Amino acid sequence: MELVQNFPFMSIILSLFSGPLCSILNGKWAKRVNTAVIILVGAMSAAVLVFVLDTGEPFIYRMGHFPAPWGNEIRVGVLEAFMAGFFCVIMLLCMMGGAREREQHIEESKRNLYYVMVNLLLCSLLALIYTNDLFTAYVFVEINTISACGLIMIRQTGRTIEAATRYMIMSLLGSGLLLLGICHLYAVTGHLLMSNIAQQVQVLAATYQYHTTLMVALGLMSVGLAIKSALYPFHAWLPDAYGYSTLSSSAILSSLVSKGYIFLLLKIFYRVMGFQVVTESRVVNVLFVFGILGMLMGSVNAIRTEDLKRMISYSSVAQIGYIYMGLGLATEAGTVASIYHVLSHAATKSLLFVAAAGLTDASRGNHFKDITGAGYRNKLAGVAFTTGSLSMVGMPMFSGFISKLFFAQAAVGHGVKMLPTFIALAISTILNAIYFMKTVIRIYTPMPKSEGRTISIEEQPSKSAALLLFVLLNLILGLNSEPVIRLIQSGLKMFD
Amino acid sequence: MKEVMMLIVVILPIFTGILLPLLFFRTRKGMWIYLETAVCVNSLLVLWMLLHAPEGTLTVFRFTGNLSITLRLDGIGAVFAALAALLWPFAMLYSFEYMKSEKNEKSFLLFYVVTYGITLGVALAENILTMYFFFEMLSLVTLPLVMHERTREAVHASRMYLYYMLGGAAFAFIGMTFVLAYGTTSTFVAGGVLDMARTGGKTDMLLLIYLLCFCGFSVKTAMWPFSSWLPKASVAPTPVTALLHAVAVVNTGAFAAMRVTYYSFGTELLRGTWVQSVILILTVFTIVYGCSRALKETHLKRRLAWSTVGNMSYILFGAALMTPAGLAGAMAHMICHSFMKLCSFFCAGAIMHKTGRNYIHELNGFGRKMPKVCFFFSISAFALTGVPGLCGFVSKWYLAKAAVENGNILAYVGVAGLLVSALLTAVYMLTIVIRFFFPGKDFDSRTLEDVEDAGWMMLAPIGMAAAAMICLGLHFGPVLEVLERIAGELGTL
Amino acid sequence: MDELLLIPIGLPILAGVVLLLSSFLECRRGVGTIGVGKGLSIFVSGVIGISAVLALTAAWQGEGEARLFSLLKGIPVYFRVDEAGRLFVTLVSIVWLLVTVYALAYMKEEKDGKRFFGFWLLLYGVLVGLDFAGNLVTMYFFYEMMTLASVPLVLHDGSRESIMAALKYLFYSLCGAYGGLFGIFFLYRYCDSLTFAPGGTLNLNAVQGQEGILLTAVFVMILGFGVKAGMLPFHAWLPTAHPVAPSPASAVLSSVIVKSGVLALLRAVFYIVGTDFLRGTWVQYGWMILSLLTVFVGSLLAFREKVFKKRLAYSTVSQVSYILFGLSLFEADAMTGAFLHVVFHAFVKCGLFLTAGIFLHCLHRQHVEELGGIGKRMPVMLWSYTLLSLALVGIPPACGFISKWYLGLGALQSETGIFSWMGPVILLVSALLTAGYLLPVSMKGFFPGKEGKAAEIMVSEEETKCSFGMLLPVVLLGGTAILAGIFPNPLIRYASDFAGKLLGMKGLG
Repeated sequence: MELVQNFPFMSIILSLFSGPLCSILNGKWAKRVNTAVIILVGAMSAAVLVFVLDTGEPFIYRMGHFPAPWGNEIRVGVLEAFMAGFFCVIMLLCMMGGAREREQHIEESKRNLYYVMVNLLLCSLLALIYTNDLFTAYVFVEINTISACGLIMIRQTGRTIEAATRYMIMSLLGSGLLLLGICHLYAVTGHLLMSNIAQQVQVLAATYQYHTTLMVALGLMSVGLAIKSALYPFHAWLPDAYGYSTLSSSAILSSLVSKGYIFLLLKIFYRVMGFQVVTESRVVNVLFVFGILGMLMGSVNAIRTEDLKRMISYSSVAQIGYIYMGLGLATEAGTVASIYHVLSHAATKSLLFVAAAGLTDASRGNHFKDITGAGYRNKLAGVAFTTGSLSMVGMPMFSGFISKLFFAQAAVGHGVKMLPTFIALAISTILNAIYFMKTVIRIYTPMPKSEGRTISIEEQPSKSAALLLFVLLNLILGLNSEPVIRLIQSGLKMFD
Repeated sequence: MKEVMMLIVVILPIFTGILLPLLFFRTRKGMWIYLETAVCVNSLLVLWMLLHAPEGTLTVFRFTGNLSITLRLDGIGAVFAALAALLWPFAMLYSFEYMKSEKNEKSFLLFYVVTYGITLGVALAENILTMYFFFEMLSLVTLPLVMHERTREAVHASRMYLYYMLGGAAFAFIGMTFVLAYGTTSTFVAGGVLDMARTGGKTDMLLLIYLLCFCGFSVKTAMWPFSSWLPKASVAPTPVTALLHAVAVVNTGAFAAMRVTYYSFGTELLRGTWVQSVILILTVFTIVYGCSRALKETHLKRRLAWSTVGNMSYILFGAALMTPAGLAGAMAHMICHSFMKLCSFFCAGAIMHKTGRNYIHELNGFGRKMPKVCFFFSISAFALTGVPGLCGFVSKWYLAKAAVENGNILAYVGVAGLLVSALLTAVYMLTIVIRFFFPGKDFDSRTLEDVEDAGWMMLAPIGMAAAAMICLGLHFGPVLEVLERIAGELGTL
Repeated sequence: MDELLLIPIGLPILAGVVLLLSSFLECRRGVGTIGVGKGLSIFVSGVIGISAVLALTAAWQGEGEARLFSLLKGIPVYFRVDEAGRLFVTLVSIVWLLVTVYALAYMKEEKDGKRFFGFWLLLYGVLVGLDFAGNLVTMYFFYEMMTLASVPLVLHDGSRESIMAALKYLFYSLCGAYGGLFGIFFLYRYCDSLTFAPGGTLNLNAVQGQEGILLTAVFVMILGFGVKAGMLPFHAWLPTAHPVAPSPASAVLSSVIVKSGVLALLRAVFYIVGTDFLRGTWVQYGWMILSLLTVFVGSLLAFREKVFKKRLAYSTVSQVSYILFGLSLFEADAMTGAFLHVVFHAFVKCGLFLTAGIFLHCLHRQHVEELGGIGKRMPVMLWSYTLLSLALVGIPPACGFISKWYLGLGALQSETGIFSWMGPVILLVSALLTAGYLLPVSMKGFFPGKEGKAAEIMVSEEETKCSFGMLLPVVLLGGTAILAGIFPNPLIRYASDFAGKLLGMKGLG
C-alpha cells in the first residue's frame, strides 16, 4: 500500500479535525488554518488523481483494515479524486472572493466559528465523494446540512435566520427520505457497503424479487437528494438561503453543497443500484421531467426577480435542472454531460456571485435599479460578470457552451426525450439570455449622475484575484474541455 | 502558408480593434489613418487570399474530439468574404465623418473593426461549429454598437437585439448538434453531410430540427416572425445600420442558412418536403410583410430597415428553393442588396448627420440642397425597385428564374410576392425621391438654409456603392459565372 | 446601319440628360427659369428633328439590328427594326415632331421649361428604344424607363394634386410593368428565346403539362401591359393623370405612351407566346371580355364626365380597347383594323388633347359647359376639333371609320362564338356614345343657344393668346384625320400585310 492511498482518508480526517481546532483559535488564525487545510486537501487530491490515473484502476481503502461487512470503506477512482480537487479549488476561490464581506457581515467573535463550519463542510463533502458506505454517506449528509445551516445563519439578520430555518426543514426532510431509502435497501439486501448492496441488488433484480421495495428505496433516495439539491418543485428554500447569506456562503452553497448531493445520487445510481436497474425504473423519467421544469421555471423566476443575488440564486435552480435533465436521460453521455455541468456550474455560479458582490459594492444596493452603470465603476467585476453571463447563456469559448453541447449531443437519438430536451435547452438559453444579458446591458448603461463609488482592481486584491482565477477557470473549461471530459469518462468507467 | 492567411485576415482586424484603446493618438486624424490603413491592408490581404485560393484547411483550435475551429476558403465563403472586404474600407471611411460629432468614438470604432474580422470568420468557417462560434461572436460584438448612444431607446433596442440574436442561436444550436451527431463529418460539404443510415428513418424529426435550425439562423436575417429587432436596432449610428444591419449581420444569417441548407443537411433530403413549403411560405410572407411595414413607417431609417427585412427574405426565398439556381439567385441578391442598401442607408445617414432630420415628411426639397446625396439615394431607390439596368433587377431576375424553374406552386406564389414587394418598394422609395426633387409649389426653400451636402468621406462610399449598382446592373455576367460555378458544385443548374 | 439605329435612341437621351443637368445647376444657383428661351427652342427642336429623321430613316431603310452588351445571361440589349417597330416609331416620331412645336409655344410662360424639355427629349429616346427593342427584356427595360421618364412630365406644375396624380400614374404603371415581368419570368422558362419572332418562340414540349400555369402567367401579363393601355380594371390612372399634366404631356401620354402598352402586348402575345397557344383558351376570352367591357364602360364614363380633359382621358380608355379587342380576336382583318386604329387614334387623340390644351391655356376653360360659343372666337380651332371628333366617332370619310370597319369585319369573321357579333354591337354602341360626348362641344361652340350667349361675350372679351405654334399642329392633325380617311390604301396595305405575317397567313392586299 502506498502512501498516496492514505490521502483520501487523511484529507477527510484533516478537515474534520481542523474544525474543532479552529474553534479555539481567533478569527485570523482560523482563516489561515482553513486556507492551509483547503490547499493541502487540494494538493492531496491532486496527488491521488495522478496516482489513480497512473494505475488506471480504482482502489479501496479499508479503515482499520476490517474486511467488508464490518469495516468502513473508501473507494477512490479518477472521478472522485478529480471532484475533490476541483471542489477544493472552488472553495478556496470562494473564500478568497468573499473575504471582505465576511469581515463586514460576521461579528468579530464569531468569525472563527465560520471557519469551523467551512472545514466541516469540506470534510463532509470529501466524505460524500469518497465513501463507499451508504450509512457513512448519510452521516456526512447530516453534517453537511448542519454546517451549511451555520454558513447561512452566521450573518445574523432576520432573513438569514428564517432562510436557515427553512433550509433546515427542507434539508431534514430530504435526509429523512434518504434515510428511509437506505433502510429499505438494508432491509432487502442486508448490507450498507455500496459494493455489497450492488451485488445483492443485481441478484434481486435478476430474480425480480422485492422489486417494489427496490423501486421505493430508489425513489425515496432520489427524492431525498433532489430536495436537498433544490430540484425544481423543492427549491423554495434556495433563493433566500443563497440570496441573503454572506458572499462566500452563497458561493460555496450554490456551487458545492448541492453538487455534493448530486454526486452522492450519482453514486447511488451507478454503484448501489446499478445503472441497468436505474435506467429501467421510471424514476429517471420523473427526474427528467422535473429537471426540464426546473430549467424553465428557475429562469422564469429569475427574470421576475429584481434583486441581483436572488436572480443568480434562481438561476441555480435552472442549472440544477440541467443536471437532473442530463441524469434523467439515463445514458452515459447524459451522465457525462451532467457531471461536466456540475463542474461548469460550480465555476460559473461562484464567479457570478463574487462578481455580483463586486458590482453591488460599487453601487448603493442589491436592487436592480442600483447597479445601473456598475460595470464602469468596478471594471473587473463588470468583465467577470459578463464572462459568467456569457458562459451561462452558452457562448462558445466559455464552459457553459460545452456543457450545453454535451447535453444536446447526449439527447440526440434518444427517441422520446430528444425533442423535449432540445426545446427545453433552446428556450432555457433564451430565458438565460433574457435575465443575464439584461443585467449585463444594465451594468453597462451609464448613469447620469454617478451613485456609488468607483472600485479599482488594487482596492480588493483577494477578490480581484479570485475573479481573475474564476474567469481563467471558466475559459479553461470552455476552451480545453477535452482532458476534463476524458477524465470524467474514465472516472465513470471506474465507478462501478 | 496560404492557409495561414485565412487566420491572419480574421485576426488582424480583431487585434487592430483591441490595440485601439491602448494606443495614443495625438490627433483624430492619426487614429483615422491607423484604422483605415489596417482595414485596407486587411481587405487587400483578403483579395490576395481569394486570388491565391488556399486549398487546405487551417485548424486554429480544437475544442474536443472532432469539434474544432477550422478555417477554409470555399465558393460561397469566398463570395461573402469578398463582399465584406470590398465594403468595409468604404464603410470605415464613412464612419469617420459620421462619428466626428458623436461621443465615445473610440469604443465605437473598436467594435466596428472587430466586427470585420468576425464576419470574415463566418465566411471562412470550415465546419458548422466554427460558423456557430463566429455567429455568436458577431451578436456580441455588435451589441455595443447598437447600444452606442446609450439612450433609453438604444438600451431597449440593444436588449431586444440580443434576445433575438441569442434566441436564434439557441435554435440554430439544435441543428448544429444534429449535424454533429448524424453527419459523416462536421465539415461543410456541397450536398450535405447527413448520414441517413444513422438517423434511423426519423425523417420527420430531422426535418423539424432543420426547420428550427433554419429559423434560428434566420433570426439574424430578420425573417418574420423574428423581424422586429431590425427596425428597432436602427437607433444605432448609421455606419452600423448600414453596414451591419443591412449587410454584414443580416447576410451572415442568410449565409448561415444557406450553409446548413446546402452544405450540412443537404437539399436531397429537404426538397419537396413540408419543411420546404413552410419555409417558402414564411419567406414569401416576410417579403410582403417587410415591404408593407416599410410603407407604413415614416422614420427614414426605420423604413429602410423594414425594407431590409423584405429584401433579406428574397435571399432566404432563393435559398429555400433548394436548387443550385436558387442558391445562385440568393447569392446574387445578397451581393446586389448589399450595395443597394448600403447606398441608401449611407444617404439616409448623411441626411440625418448633416441636418438632424429623421422623418420622411421633413425631407421636402432636399434635392436642391444635397443634390449628390439625393441623386445617389434615387439610384439606390430605383435599384431597389428593380428598374432594369440597375443591379436590383438582375438579382430579382435570377431569383425569379430559379423560382419558375423550380416548379413548386409556392415558388410561383413567391414570384408574385417578389413583384408585389417590388411594387411596394416603388411606393415607399419613390415617394421619397419625388419628395426630394419635386417638393411642390408651395415649398419654401428658406426652411433648408442650414442644409449642405455631405463631405467627401461620406460621398466616396456612397458613390462607390452607386457605381457598383450600375456596373452590376449592366454587366452582371462575370459575377454570375462565379456564382454559377459555385452553385454548380451542388448539381446541374 | 447599326449606328443609325442607336443614334435616335442615344441622342435624345443624352441631350435630355444635359438639359436636366443644366436646369438643375440653374436651380441651385437660384436663377429663375420661367419660360423657354430661344436657345432652348432651337436645341430642343434641333435634337428632336435630327433624331426623328434618323429614326424614320432607320425604320424604313430595312431590317437593321444592333446588339449591345448583355444585360442578363444570354439576353443582350438588342435592337431590331421590324414591322411593328417601324409602325410605332413612325407614329412616335410624327407625334413628337408636331407636339414639340406645340409644346415650345405652350411652355413659354410656364416654370421649369428646361426640366420639362429635358424629360421630353429623354422620353422620346426611350420610346424609340422601346419600339426598336428586339427582345422582351430590352423592351421591358425601356418600358420601365418610359414610365419613369414620363412621371416628371405629369407632375410638372408641382401642385399637390399633380404630384398625387403622378404618383398614382407611377404606381399603376409599375403595377402593370410588374404584371408583365411576372409573365416574362415564365416565358423565359418556357420559350426558346426571348427574341421577338413573328408567330412566337414558345417551346411546346416544355409547356407540356404546365399549360395552366403558363396561361395564368400570360393572362397576368396581358393584364399588366393592359394597365398602360388603360384596360379595365386598371384604367383609373388615365382620368387622374391627364387633367393635371401639361397638355403636350397629356397629348403624348394619350396618343403614344398608352400605345406602348399595346405594343408591349403585341410583342408578348404575337412575337413570344404565339397565337396558336392562346387561341380558344380562357385567356383569349378573358382578354376579349375585358377589352369589350372597357370599350363600353370607357365611353359611358366619358359621356358622364364634365371636365373636358378627363372626358378625353376616358375616351382614350375606351378607344385603346378597340385596339386591344382587335388584337384579341387573332384574326387578320380585325388586326388590320387594330393597327389602323393605333395610327388613327394616336393622331386624333393627340389633336384633341392639344385642342383641350388650347382651351385651357388660352381661355382657362376646363369644363365642357364653359365652351359654349367658342366657335366665334376660334373658328379654326373648333373646325379642327370637329374634324377630329368625326374621325374618332368613325363617320366616313374621316379615318376612324376605316379602322372600325376592319375591326367589325374581323370580329364577324372570327370564329369566337358569341363575341363575333357582340363585339361589333358594342363597338357601335360605343361609337354612338363617342358621338354623344364629343360632338356636343362643337355644337355648343358654334351654336351656343341663349344661355350660352353670356359665355360667348366673355370669350370675346378675353384676350386669346393662342400662338401660331400651338394652332399649327392641331390644324395639321385635323387635316390628317380626314386625309387619312380619304386615302387610306397604303396604310391598309401595310397593316394587312403585317397582320397576315403575324398570323402566319397571306395578307389581304
